[in-house]
Amino acid sequence: MLTVLLVLLGFFAGLLGAMTGIGGGVLLSPILALHFGIPIREAIGTSLVAVITTSAASSSVHLQRHTTDIRLGMTLELATSLGAAVTAYLVGYFNRNVLEGLFAGFLLYSSITILLRGGKIRNEEVAEVNGDGETVIPPYEPQRYPLGLGASLFAGGLSGLLGIGGGPIKVPVMYIFMNVPLMVATATSNFMIGVTAAASAIVYYRRGDILVGLAAPLAVGVFLGSLLGARLAPRIHTKYVVYLLVAIMLYLAGHLFVHLLTGKAA
Amino acid sequence: MSQLREPAFDRVVALVLRVGAFGCFFIMLAGLLMGLFVDSHVPGDIERAGVLLMLATPVVRVLVAGVLFLREKDWKYGAISFGVLAILLLGAVFGIGEH
Repeated sequence: MLTVLLVLLGFFAGLLGAMTGIGGGVLLSPILALHFGIPIREAIGTSLVAVITTSAASSSVHLQRHTTDIRLGMTLELATSLGAAVTAYLVGYFNRNVLEGLFAGFLLYSSITILLRGGKIRNEEVAEVNGDGETVIPPYEPQRYPLGLGASLFAGGLSGLLGIGGGPIKVPVMYIFMNVPLMVATATSNFMIGVTAAASAIVYYRRGDILVGLAAPLAVGVFLGSLLGARLAPRIHTKYVVYLLVAIMLYLAGHLFVHLLTGKAA
Repeated sequence: MSQLREPAFDRVVALVLRVGAFGCFFIMLAGLLMGLFVDSHVPGDIERAGVLLMLATPVVRVLVAGVLFLREKDWKYGAISFGVLAILLLGAVFGIGEH
């Protein structure tokens, strides 16, 4: 029964994630912590497996469209994986309340950012298509590597701390500061998430913070959900889905705060 | 110069990720289904294998890309790839913060 529930939860998170561009990891860890009684650190470690699954599946699609800059991604991964591994170690010394507080703060911050942008999570860029139906990417040369590496270190650190992908940090940095076309920035960020999450997941796993019995059904659900979400995304008004996501995020943030203050789930 | 457009390179890396994602999906699914009918440690072991393979997929992806760079005599990005690999493996070797 628990297994079925976890597959459904993963499916739902993967579906929302693929339709909105915000990874499922943001939802999975607080739900595991609040509704399944899993300590937040184990919840974060467990949902990292689902984050890797999503990244691997979606980035193989981007790669086949040739929109991923593997060299840029690999370079920035030096910073994201270092940041992720370091914070994953540090998390071992954090107590539960600090993690729950940070997570609640992150959910609140993300929700407000999305609302201020009027429900838009990413800037849409219309891809140019040539006569053969292939996407055309204008020539570019990534710039300001030090800035990109610094931001990647931060994004990786956040990923190792909270078990999230960190796309909302990397994509704007590559696009605005590094002069990378948006489509390439999105694909490359997605490409980097798997390695970044693996860098911290390995540390979580060694510490015993990945609960295999929960991770497997979640990953199975997330895999199916993101496959379906990617197909549905072009046909559905994502704006309403985004507001649904924000509502869930705000609910989880509030619930985490209550949990912190009272020491028990509301 | 754009750094994109190396179709063969992209295809190989995509293949690694695809095999990892689909492979792990089916392995974990097999473990889950078996768990419904079999009461032993075997389904749990299968699920664990799926999870570990999932953790290994990005590591293999970095290794494969690194080897491809070296074969192209692209020493700079070959070195960067093996740097990333080193960071990933350090996490597997040193279990600081264990309890």
